[in-house]
Amino acid sequence: MRRLLLIGLALFPVLAMAQGFQVNLHGQKQVGMGNTGTGLVQDAASILFNPGAVAMLPENYIQGGVSPLLFQSAFQSTGSNKTFNNNTQIATPFTFYAAWGPKSSCWKVGLGVYTPFGGLTDWGNQWDGKYVLESLNLKAIYFQPTLSVKLADFISVGGGFVYNYGSVDLLRGIPVSADATAELKGSGKGYGWNAGVYIKTEAGITFGFTHRSQVDTKIDGGDATFSGSIPASLQGRFPAGTKFSAQIPLPSTTSLGIGIYPCDKWTVGLDFNYVKWRNYQSLDFNYSQPVNGSTLTSSPRNYNDAFDLRGGAEYKASSTVALRFGGGYASTPVQDGYVTPEAPDANRVYGTVGFGYKVAKKLDLDVSFEYEHLKDRPQTNIESGLSGTYKTNVLIPGISLAYHW
Amino acid sequence: MKTKNYLYILVASICIAGCKPSFNSNPAPSRGSADFTRYIAVGNSLTAGYADGGLYRAGQLVSYPSIIAQQLQTVGGGVFNQPLFTTDQANGSGYVKLSGFDPATGSPITSQVTTSLGYRGAVTIPGFGTVNLLTKYTDDIENYGVPGIKLLHLTYAPYGNLNPFFERLLPGASPTNSTTYLSFITAKPFTFFTNWLGNNDALGYATSGGAGDVLTDKGTFGQLYNLLIGTLTANGQKGAVATIPDVTTIPYFTTVTVGAILGGVQKANPAAKALYINARTSADPADNTHAARPATASDLIVLTFPTTKIGQPVTVPGIPVPVPYGLTPYTPIDDQYVLDANEVALTKDYVSSYNSTIKSVAAAKGLAVFDAYTFLSNIKTSGLVVNGISFNSNFISGGLFSLDGVHLTPRGYSIVANEFIKAINSQYSSSIPIVNVGNYNGIVFP
Repeated sequence: MRRLLLIGLALFPVLAMAQGFQVNLHGQKQVGMGNTGTGLVQDAASILFNPGAVAMLPENYIQGGVSPLLFQSAFQSTGSNKTFNNNTQIATPFTFYAAWGPKSSCWKVGLGVYTPFGGLTDWGNQWDGKYVLESLNLKAIYFQPTLSVKLADFISVGGGFVYNYGSVDLLRGIPVSADATAELKGSGKGYGWNAGVYIKTEAGITFGFTHRSQVDTKIDGGDATFSGSIPASLQGRFPAGTKFSAQIPLPSTTSLGIGIYPCDKWTVGLDFNYVKWRNYQSLDFNYSQPVNGSTLTSSPRNYNDAFDLRGGAEYKASSTVALRFGGGYASTPVQDGYVTPEAPDANRVYGTVGFGYKVAKKLDLDVSFEYEHLKDRPQTNIESGLSGTYKTNVLIPGISLAYHW
Repeated sequence: MKTKNYLYILVASICIAGCKPSFNSNPAPSRGSADFTRYIAVGNSLTAGYADGGLYRAGQLVSYPSIIAQQLQTVGGGVFNQPLFTTDQANGSGYVKLSGFDPATGSPITSQVTTSLGYRGAVTIPGFGTVNLLTKYTDDIENYGVPGIKLLHLTYAPYGNLNPFFERLLPGASPTNSTTYLSFITAKPFTFFTNWLGNNDALGYATSGGAGDVLTDKGTFGQLYNLLIGTLTANGQKGAVATIPDVTTIPYFTTVTVGAILGGVQKANPAAKALYINARTSADPADNTHAARPATASDLIVLTFPTTKIGQPVTVPGIPVPVPYGLTPYTPIDDQYVLDANEVALTKDYVSSYNSTIKSVAAAKGLAVFDAYTFLSNIKTSGLVVNGISFNSNFISGGLFSLDGVHLTPRGYSIVANEFIKAINSQYSSSIPIVNVGNYNGIVFP
């Protein structure tokens, strides 16, 4: 007769994306210049930065790069003296671009493969927030076939279709024993587009305008796996063979870029990006059978739109050597009360340096280094009650090779 | 060119080694204006670490005073001894554990732990009854929590012969003890205290359905509380006190409801209209008249009510056929199982008065206050989420209260310890670190 009764454990939800999950490492030349490139024609990375500018490329390109990313975050609970660092793991955002068109034709076709969203965090199973998150590995790989056409010497347009392959692997503790865990692992896909226009003015200044659409990524048939010591009397609440589905809106980005060329050896880039995170209102998981009494969990996100401002410059020290530097500021889409350890996001500043070297007439080697610092953010998450301060720095070296002819 | 590349690599490696975020600038643990050299804990079962209807070693080890003391070690706190049951007698007084759920109703099935107990014998006290004596613990202690003790017993000399949890701490054997609780706790010097006495002055009445115990007189409560705090602070000691929770916030009174019992009855017998209880007719403490009446949602049934009694035939003098228990005015549910609406009002009124006393005495002495009344009332209203773990005031599923529906789980006690620590930090400008609630157990499921 004792009214029952089970079990208000905070389960799932969670999986946040922030600008922390928007990865802006799309080409080493551009990274070196503070991630500017919308209003510039540097190489085939324009396929992402501005498909409209691809037709303006003087040569054909095939290039690839990688930016091993070291995300260093620390957390301290409010009122505690214990600091928890996330385990160092290296994520590997990469890029591949190819752009080709007949010599002196007015068009080019291209293919871009790049990783505009992702996250790799591992807080382990000893920290204060382990019932919120132990680890997350989130990847989105966009494939973008592209066509770009030069309408006149001063204007070109282009666009591409985007196919996204996304995967998620999220692990969190279940507060019924010290080592019980729930893992959500699955992959899915989504579609979108990317279009831009590129303009050269008589004054010598170049402009770019690009819109990369929202990509609603659907995960179907993912596996929800419960392991560790789940007491026998509760095992029915965490059934084996549970599948989950989820849909995540990877936001659209609208970019305006400017290229300025003060003298022969200098190129200056300025970019403004507007990221429409507002559609990320909640994260919902549907389960194939009741998990802890429910087939649906919904976790509020209530993101706001975010923007970033970027600037950078390149100095051609010689015919073979280019030096680059830049930096930027990115606002966070995550409101107070919604910060989660997946992406302990905050407003961030970053600085970059880059170095380009012509290894051979047709071969460019570019290296870059980016350092991001996120503002300290004392937070109490409304949903999980996890209260504390996050401190995060991100270190990103990068290297790429570009072959052009 | 090469040198530049090396330079970049160098810059990068310096950063990788040196840019790990740290919290070095945060204030280090400090004791503020308090001195924690010898911290003592004064209180009842909650202070002793009582849970699941018993005092046992595993519960003692996660008592809230022991958690506070462990954190005080970072700010100069000394040793903190508890009167632990030995590992051989780890189950102490015995306790209840969860052994499963009824597959049909989902109701919890519990069983009593009867092995490795800590009893040493029994003594009969004339005029009181039999006291089952627990194994003595007469080494130094800092946790003076005695299950069952009321503030009313503070200066009652024979108490050490009647309460086995107090008796085990005293050197003499029952019935020879005459040490009062107040002189026992203040026998050795101390620098800091927590005090959470007073719950049983209301709870004893409430859990007996207002039938087997009485509420401590408000004036007496005030005198004794002043005496207690006056003695504890006699040498300028600092401390923290806690208020007394509203009894209607604990699952002991909110789990078995009138509606649920009646619903069960109506499944078998749709004609049943009401449960009858033997209730107080007035909330006036002086008027103890009881009469049978239909029960409402404002009448609270105790967790231990054997619901199988409902509907059992009872022979009533003057009525030719047996009458079903609880379903007629002639066979109301016994007073001891019900805290009726007037008794609830009476209890709330006394608790409110006790808490006024506690807060005003604490304010006068500059003590920290953990307002358990407000804290638990808020959890009752809106729940609590800590580090991804949800809590509420429900029995078992709430995670906060142990299987007796009155005392807390280890997670619940760690939350209480953190609340005491926050109150102390705020009162004495100290920075004692809190603990991670997630490191403690909730209800242990089989």
